Amino acid sequence: MAFILTSPPAPTSPPAELTRAADDAVTSSPRRAASRARSRALASLPAHVLLAILALVSVYPIYWMFVTAFRPTAEALSTNPLPGPVSLENFLQVWQQIPIGSMLASTLGMALVLAGAQLLVAVLASYGFARWSFRGKKALYLLFVGSWLVPFQVTMIPNYLLVSQLGLLNTVAGVVLPQLCSAFAVMMLRQHLESFPRELLDAAQMDGRSSWLTLWQVVVPNLRPALAALAIMLFISAWNEYLWPSLIMQKSTALIQVGIRAFLGAEGNNWGAIMAASSIACLPIFLIYIFLQRYVVDAFVRSGLK
Amino acid sequence: MFTEVQGPTTTAAAAVVVGPAGPRARRRPRSAWLPYLYILPAVALLLVWTYWPLVQTAGLSLQDWNLIPTKPKTFVGVEKYQKVLSLPELHQALANTVAYILAFLGISVALPVLFALLSRRVQGRARTFYQALIFVPFLVTPVATSAVWRWLFAPESGTIPAIATTLGTPMGNIFRDPDSSMLSIVVIVGWQMLGFGVLVVSAGLAGISPDYSAAASIDGASQRQITWRIVLPLLSPSLVFLALMTILLSAQWTYPIIDLVTQGGPGNSSTNIYYLLYQFGFRNFDAGLSSAAGMLFFAGFGIVAVIFVELSEKLSFHDN
Repeated sequence: MAFILTSPPAPTSPPAELTRAADDAVTSSPRRAASRARSRALASLPAHVLLAILALVSVYPIYWMFVTAFRPTAEALSTNPLPGPVSLENFLQVWQQIPIGSMLASTLGMALVLAGAQLLVAVLASYGFARWSFRGKKALYLLFVGSWLVPFQVTMIPNYLLVSQLGLLNTVAGVVLPQLCSAFAVMMLRQHLESFPRELLDAAQMDGRSSWLTLWQVVVPNLRPALAALAIMLFISAWNEYLWPSLIMQKSTALIQVGIRAFLGAEGNNWGAIMAASSIACLPIFLIYIFLQRYVVDAFVRSGLK
Repeated sequence: MFTEVQGPTTTAAAAVVVGPAGPRARRRPRSAWLPYLYILPAVALLLVWTYWPLVQTAGLSLQDWNLIPTKPKTFVGVEKYQKVLSLPELHQALANTVAYILAFLGISVALPVLFALLSRRVQGRARTFYQALIFVPFLVTPVATSAVWRWLFAPESGTIPAIATTLGTPMGNIFRDPDSSMLSIVVIVGWQMLGFGVLVVSAGLAGISPDYSAAASIDGASQRQITWRIVLPLLSPSLVFLALMTILLSAQWTYPIIDLVTQGGPGNSSTNIYYLLYQFGFRNFDAGLSSAAGMLFFAGFGIVAVIFVELSEKLSFHDN
């Protein structure tokens, strides 16, 4: 995990295009302005081509996953890049062979609980750090900053032993528990809270609100966009988390990551069914992305969490 | 340690929020223990699951133990360190890790800069559309990523070998050949990280006020001069951020794909240091060896990070 934050770049001045267009309007005839606009569009053609190629390379494997998944089983090995007749055979096969429904449900539950708990822990901690000054604050904060220097693989044996002593091996609780504190979330929220208007906090205090009520009635409602972006990101990270579940769930296939891994091993070259299972594993994240695209990109670009 | 990569105008924005009252005086709480109560859950979790385990790993690295609770641990001093340093597997894993880092410095830092600079002309809706597509691979879950690429590279009817055959250069199983197994991991993880890099660099570019370039071009600077002397230096905070992430996290990014696609093989040709830790601990059940190697990597990456943060303080240009 890394927690390097990039603050949102604030636009300073109107985009160059606008200023230039304004200059054009003042200095030249409309006709010349029009021909300039056309030549500018032409000049951006290579950039369009470049981006289109990049986008194609990015999306083609995913497109291919869905195309293969929806082919009739008999045509699974077809190399025709265009989708043919749609068939649900592969999905049916996955449905019959592994309890994909319950895997989806428990992974969804795990990711929701984990993201929710991480958010709660982080809201409390960042509020404590941002609102008051107290003895040892710097040293305590350093614990969070320093934790990204401790790679998970270095602490995995003691963590594994502790989970096993708690009797939580092969359980979803064992996956959730060690990850409850996201240092990244604490630091990101603290950054947001640092710029929270002090006047609002002071006003709440004068109204006689306790710090606890202020947090839930004043701070959290005002922080909603930031919290939403962070929550989406934590959810996606929890869903896609592979390393820890793969260690803890060696004898269980309750979560989609480990369940589908086992299915991949068993199915070998049955690409149609494998692609169907893989598309199901990605589906919730893709749905989130389709509906909340801007939030997702913003949150991930601003962070370095992986 | 924690590097902030700031958009040029954040200080101004912060100043607005602070308002005429000037820097905010932070309150002492009414009761001294109140703030500790708020940060207690987070700190406790961090201690239990990160820092105490780190201490335990340091302890385990001095012992011989096979991870079975009923078996005794024997103190062996620095023997495990000596042993791990002399293991050829470690040397191979280290060399591979460095190679992965270099490859990803190209794919997730250099290429994105090139792409972002070349595509600056595309604005508005078209840009949002392209970026939305380019970012998708980053979100694909590791099991699906590895499955799709195994299918694309499948020797029988896989798309890529099929294309290679048409081009007259038939290829075998890329994952089973020691010469190409690492390349396959680089291609797969690179596919995931490229879009992320492009978006970070584009966000950095969007944060640079176009006034500077406009002023320079009025003064007669060429496009090349503007790019090298103005845009890239102003972009340096984003670049330092990406480079540091790449160095520290390449081994993390590659871990799931290595585990799912090649298991480090054939013959350790595609392994990396974290996968080696996993194999020492959970395949060979040698807790001491895994912990000793882990402590060495922890120290090594710590030093790299400190050097990098020092360097970035000196190298980064800010326009405020």
